[in-house]
Amino acid sequence: MDIIIQGLKEGLMLVWSMDPKIIQITLVSLQVSLSALLIAACLGIPLGAALALKEVPGRRLFLNITYTFMGLPPVLAGLIVYLVLTTRGPLGQFQLLFTPTAMICAQILLAFPIICGLTARTVMAQRQEVYDTAVTLGASRRQAAWAIIRESRMGIIAALTTALGRLVAEVGAVMLVGGNIEGSTRVLTTSIVLETRMGEDSRAIGIGIILLVISFSIIVLINLLEKRSFKNDAGIQIT
Amino acid sequence: MTPVFKLHKIIKRYGQREVLHIEEINIHGQKICAILGPNGSGKTTLMRIMGLLTRNDTGTVNILGEDIHWGKEQLLKLRRQMTMVTQTSFMFEGNVYDNVAYGLKIRRMPERGIRAAVEKSLELLGMSAFIAADARNLSGGERQKVAIARALAVEPRVLFLDEPTANIDPQSAVEIERHVRFINRELGTTIILVTHNLFQARRLADEVFFMWDGKMVERGSAKDIFEQPQDERTRSFLSGETVF
Repeated sequence: MDIIIQGLKEGLMLVWSMDPKIIQITLVSLQVSLSALLIAACLGIPLGAALALKEVPGRRLFLNITYTFMGLPPVLAGLIVYLVLTTRGPLGQFQLLFTPTAMICAQILLAFPIICGLTARTVMAQRQEVYDTAVTLGASRRQAAWAIIRESRMGIIAALTTALGRLVAEVGAVMLVGGNIEGSTRVLTTSIVLETRMGEDSRAIGIGIILLVISFSIIVLINLLEKRSFKNDAGIQIT
Repeated sequence: MTPVFKLHKIIKRYGQREVLHIEEINIHGQKICAILGPNGSGKTTLMRIMGLLTRNDTGTVNILGEDIHWGKEQLLKLRRQMTMVTQTSFMFEGNVYDNVAYGLKIRRMPERGIRAAVEKSLELLGMSAFIAADARNLSGGERQKVAIARALAVEPRVLFLDEPTANIDPQSAVEIERHVRFINRELGTTIILVTHNLFQARRLADEVFFMWDGKMVERGSAKDIFEQPQDERTRSFLSGETVF
């Protein structure tokens, strides 16, 4: 127990000291995870909504594959990206392996199925009711589809926060394709692994605290962007 | 006078099951028409076809003088002349104003006109005080009144009411009936009321269509149907017998 308390104290001191190395690692983490989230959201939200709203051939199969990939092990995502970006791989000529770009690619692979699958689910959950209401009030198909997406925004925000949670906590994929290179591809999670292996427990705890604060701050920020989600976060009254 | 709705040899199936088989229906405007019948008799399916929400498998539908070919533009044009209120009206996230304004906003009406129309509709339903209230926190009766105000704001020629008072208390139901009568008499809106509430149909309807097992078994004035029903099934239903 003493080790943990001591580690926490030293960790907080480390956060307080604003170590330039830690700041640099934090910035790389943010750059990688937020870029991956943004790209995955730009692809996943429209595709998930379209799959929920339109009956197209192969829709069910695609959704089932998406749901399966929601549980994709990070190290496997890393391996797939590694094989594509390695010098002998199809995109080897671009020499992206062991760069933040490779890490972003691996994280997109992890975040996209979550965002796409959960968006599809949340849109499907209410499409008929909202569609009928919108259409009977004179909405065109496009306007009704937009109304469905608008009404699904709580679920879409939940999809984004779930994906972000997975990205910031992920270590396997970024380690494999990033290589944990100091000053370049080292991120908070890979730093924790490294510091622990080197016996620097307090440093690992300090980085862990930073990781938690970042996760919490981003999730609060996303929720604040959609003020109503807080309003509707009130629990069910059980008496 | 051209009927508002003219349906001819309409059949609707879900899988192998035929849920609706209508030979002929003509409904003229500015009346309150009740579609009456037990659960599963095809009332809602008929209303959804008339409201252009469900496509019939065979037969022809003519609405407001136009034969329906289910083209995008025609659907939009005709749907914008009809609105619907169901027994559990969905409220969009937002306040009462946002909900009542929805139909006007999608018609790209100027903001000043929207506010005036919303206030007028809410006033008509006695709901002006709720304009800023969260629409999802309303009681069942209030929610139905907002749904009717929302439907009226777009000044429809036809208003469909699908069991509009099924889930609300008797006092609110009486109030809603009063509004329905007013909307029909004063605004000239044609009202299609789908219900299995005999008393409500009797109080409100000018004309009654009685349905049983997907077919229209009897139609006539409310007085004739309730006082001298011709069909055995109508008589049994009205007397509350359990032959069904």
